[in-house]
Amino acid sequence: MAWDLLLWIISFFVSLALVASVFYQVICLTDLEADYLNPFETSTRINRLVIPEFILQGSLCLLFLFTWHWVFFLVALPVTVYHAMLYNERRYLIDVTEVFRAISFEKKFRFTKLGFYILLFIMVVFRLTLSAVYSFTEDDDLLHLF
Amino acid sequence: MGTENNKGYPKFPARPAPSSSPYASAPPPGIPPPSGGPPTGSDAVGFRPFPPSASQPIRPFTPSGPPPAPQVGAMRPAQPSPFVSQIPGSRPPPPSSNSFPSTAYGPPPPPPPPPGAAPFQRFPSPPFPTTQNPPPQGPPQTLAGHFSPPMSLRPQQQPMAPVTMGPPPQSTTSGLPGANASPSPADFNMAARPGFQQSMPPVTPSYPGVGGSQPSFPGYPSKQVSQPPPMPFQSSQGPPGPPPVSSYPPHTGGFAQRPNIVAQQNLHPSYAPPTSNVQGLVEDFNSLSLASIPGSMEPGLDHRSFPRPLDGDVEPNSFAEMYPMNCHSRYLRLTTSAIPNSQSLASRWHLPLGAVVCPLAETPEGEEVPLIDFGSTGIIRCRRCRTYVNPYVTFTDSGRKWRCNICSMLNDVPGEYFSHLDANGRRMDMDQRPELTKGSVEIIAPTEYMVRPPMPPIYFFLIDVSISATKSGMLEVVAQTIKSCLDNLPGYPRTQIGFITYDSTLHFYNMKSSLSQPQMMVVTDLDDIFLPLPDDLLVNLSESRTVVEAFLDSLPMMFQDNVNVESAFGPALRAAFMVMNQLGGKLLIFQNSLPSLGAGRLKLRGDDPRVYGTDKEYALRVAEDPFYKQMAADCTKFQIGINVYAFSDKYTDIASLGTLAKYTGGQVYYYPGFQSSVHGDKLRHELARDLTRETAWEAVMRIRCGKGIRFTSYHGNFMLRSTDLLALPAVDCDKAYAMQLSLEETLLTTQTVYFQVALLYTASCGERRIRVHTSVAPVVADLGEMYRQADTGSIVSLYARLAIEKSMSAKLDDARNAIQQKIVKALKEYRNLHAVQHRLGSRLIYPETLKFLPLYGLAIIKSTPLQGGPADASLDERCAAGFTMMALPVKKLLKLLYPNLIRVDEWLLKPSADHDDLRDVSNRLPLAAESLDSRGLYIYDDGFRLVLWFGRMLSPDIAKNLLGNDFAAELSRVTFQEQGNGMSKKLMSLVKKLRENDPSYHPMCFLVRQGEQPREGFLLLRHLIEDQMGGSSGYVDWILQLQRQIQQN
Repeated sequence: MAWDLLLWIISFFVSLALVASVFYQVICLTDLEADYLNPFETSTRINRLVIPEFILQGSLCLLFLFTWHWVFFLVALPVTVYHAMLYNERRYLIDVTEVFRAISFEKKFRFTKLGFYILLFIMVVFRLTLSAVYSFTEDDDLLHLF
Repeated sequence: MGTENNKGYPKFPARPAPSSSPYASAPPPGIPPPSGGPPTGSDAVGFRPFPPSASQPIRPFTPSGPPPAPQVGAMRPAQPSPFVSQIPGSRPPPPSSNSFPSTAYGPPPPPPPPPGAAPFQRFPSPPFPTTQNPPPQGPPQTLAGHFSPPMSLRPQQQPMAPVTMGPPPQSTTSGLPGANASPSPADFNMAARPGFQQSMPPVTPSYPGVGGSQPSFPGYPSKQVSQPPPMPFQSSQGPPGPPPVSSYPPHTGGFAQRPNIVAQQNLHPSYAPPTSNVQGLVEDFNSLSLASIPGSMEPGLDHRSFPRPLDGDVEPNSFAEMYPMNCHSRYLRLTTSAIPNSQSLASRWHLPLGAVVCPLAETPEGEEVPLIDFGSTGIIRCRRCRTYVNPYVTFTDSGRKWRCNICSMLNDVPGEYFSHLDANGRRMDMDQRPELTKGSVEIIAPTEYMVRPPMPPIYFFLIDVSISATKSGMLEVVAQTIKSCLDNLPGYPRTQIGFITYDSTLHFYNMKSSLSQPQMMVVTDLDDIFLPLPDDLLVNLSESRTVVEAFLDSLPMMFQDNVNVESAFGPALRAAFMVMNQLGGKLLIFQNSLPSLGAGRLKLRGDDPRVYGTDKEYALRVAEDPFYKQMAADCTKFQIGINVYAFSDKYTDIASLGTLAKYTGGQVYYYPGFQSSVHGDKLRHELARDLTRETAWEAVMRIRCGKGIRFTSYHGNFMLRSTDLLALPAVDCDKAYAMQLSLEETLLTTQTVYFQVALLYTASCGERRIRVHTSVAPVVADLGEMYRQADTGSIVSLYARLAIEKSMSAKLDDARNAIQQKIVKALKEYRNLHAVQHRLGSRLIYPETLKFLPLYGLAIIKSTPLQGGPADASLDERCAAGFTMMALPVKKLLKLLYPNLIRVDEWLLKPSADHDDLRDVSNRLPLAAESLDSRGLYIYDDGFRLVLWFGRMLSPDIAKNLLGNDFAAELSRVTFQEQGNGMSKKLMSLVKKLRENDPSYHPMCFLVRQGEQPREGFLLLRHLIEDQMGGSSGYVDWILQLQRQIQQN
């Protein structure tokens, strides 16, 4: 049980980090559009987050797979696959020279991703509370009450 | 092919309903009944039969004739015959033609004589006739009515309508509509079209007695002539009748001098002019008949009649006249000078909507852009939208406020700038203020426009000194050229200069002014670049002049025996960046081989033909290593503009190297297989031009436009700093930028839209300046008007850029098809616009303004960056041409797409011809193999290359005179030089003149003899774009292909 709780706690922080990272990227892009940021800065800021995000997301996905959490795995899988594809095609970084041409796509992509991450986050929070309550109640042997 | 002028259509609507219907039924007024026998109208005889009974069939035409009948009374069949006979008499030659129309009318006949005279007068005013035509039914009548004072006309008018109606008798009945129409139309005309009336005057006088009928008559015919194309008509229509075309000619008089050769008329662009005058009033379109020509023996098309831009680029000037305060079209060209007023209209305009801007275009003597200093007043700009004050702002409140023309904001006029208004609301000091009268001005910017002190002009050279550089002689030429340009570098005495050379190591040069010889420092650690000296790598030219000269003198010697084949390009670039990033400037890179060491090394991914046609194909045309894009972005950020000179005969990955130039606003010069003996002059000239032309440093450019529209995409060599700000570290007169706009609001409520291009830059003299170009375009609600105001040059320029960009993300095939589809869509929309009113049959119709669009489209598809497959052009050539075309101004691009081909042997033989008199040779020929006569000598000039083509049967004298004793040798080994005789001198002066026409590039001269393969094919035949070559289609096929697609639904 403790392992389960640990899993969900880890997932909680990881998915929180993912949401935060993508949210930050979206903000950078909108700032760029509004001319608060220049393309050089925008791309540096976003690009340095890209790889960590990919790694986090990928390991979370694997974690779900290994712990045999089917539903979570399937929710995380599409994004992982898409990331892998981007990485293989070397299109994962924002191209500073053509950022304005790509901006609408990049924003759409990140909004979609944000949706996925938030969904994942909500599910994780749900399981975390469930798991916490579960382990808590187990400790107190309250489980039998249900 | 024919030109059809359906002018007046738009206006017609005013007319009574009846007229409208007629259109559909009877399209072209002038249309002769096809069956009508051979065009040759010479025989009145043919008609005779008709007259009586014929009246009906003829009617259709009558429209033209309408006027005639007037007094005589409605047509009387009987009269005709006699009539006819008379006609001939009256006008011997032309008669027949006249007779035709007249016959139809029967009645009017007698008058004919006058017509002859009248015709000429009419002509001048094409509009007139045109108007009549369109409306076979109504309009003509109206005209007639006009002319002929008599009321009697009405009855006749009916006849006109006739086409729709069947038999003559009916006509009378049907006449009702016509009758109604007549009065109103007349009024209408009078009021509405001044032009029209003017034309009339002459007419009336001539025909005093005859009656208006005739006047109109003649005019009518003329119109027909212009229209056309007899052939098209015939095919489409069937009525038997008189021979149309031939008959008209006489009337046309001035118009069509040769009645018989209608087709030729079409050819002549001169034709258009008359119509263009009337543009505002009438609708016109041109057409290409794609059915077989009736008169000719061969069933094929008369491709000689296809439109060709043999006069070069024609700048749109109708709006320059309308808005004299607009900036000149050399600075800003809109793809159409009529902005659609709604999104739905814009979406029907399938051509690009946008502009091509060349902010620093070279100006001819006397038209320099005025320089303005607002001094302590500060620059007058709109508070809200930041628009600069321009000729279109309005001053109100007795001069205390001004209204921004772009956002309508009311701004205060600063005290120092105040001036009283005169009675018309004009400022009294208007004439002393160029910014209020000129579309282009240059404003001196105060310190608020600087983020740092204006930078000095900086030239930094990054020179490859590996073995190939020395062997080819490149190093020597470059060193000499730079040295010879030292005096002419802009910005003396602030100019700074520096050098790095590299092979497998980097060589830095300390040029401190206190030294007598430059010190060379070698850095071998390529992974961790450091500068051996903090300063003195970039020095002030005037202070260190002797050191720099000493360096340039010794440079070729220093590396004479270098056998190093490696190229540490990436590290060298980094080092140069480190030297320059304090100030920015211009970085000139001379690269001789594929970068092989350190960061940014490139692989030989070259020309693997198997990749072509796959989805991976495009990857060959984009930078391979992200290093290049990153470096380019960094350079732009620090105001470094890069020009790349590439010399290798092997693969150098121009796609990657060119990326550096593309995003820093530079350009790529490519000299494949450089040999100083061959390419030396070219390099010398182009490098000198690059170094000495006026350059704008650390520039940014923005284009503003009125509310409701927005520029959405930009195309060219630059980097976007924000959504609408182009960062241009170094700009000059040879760079143009294209942009597309879109409508943000569904409906524009304003009457006009203003555009303002502002380029903020540092001039070489150290002044910060803003160059402002302002232009205005009307907002229209009519698609036809947009087509009338279209500008082929800028549309083609945008298309070329779009296609090249597309080739960087898709297959060449896709890029070519995209262009074709775009043209098809645009022409299809245009066809739909006219299909209701006209019987178009198998004709391809297009607006006068876009008559060259199909040909230029074909030229784009066959241009170096986009043509064929792997065998047609090497990858490097493709990419280099692509980068070049992305930056070319409109005129140069059009010349590159459709080069000049001129025949010179006859001119050379003309003994006394003045050397300066080049008019005789300015006769451009169509770019097809059939233009080449084996007895001739031709020059092909696309602005980048001159090819002298010697016909096989060219008189040996000429060849000997021009080539000296080598004339029989293989021409690839012959050097072209002056031979000391008159003919050779003459040719050299011509070549010189051609080169001077466009100093931005130095066209190299190639000699080739007919049949000398493969050189001939490679140098010339491949570029004859009207011919079929390889898998691509020729002009005729292309037109047919377009037409087929246009007609598909």
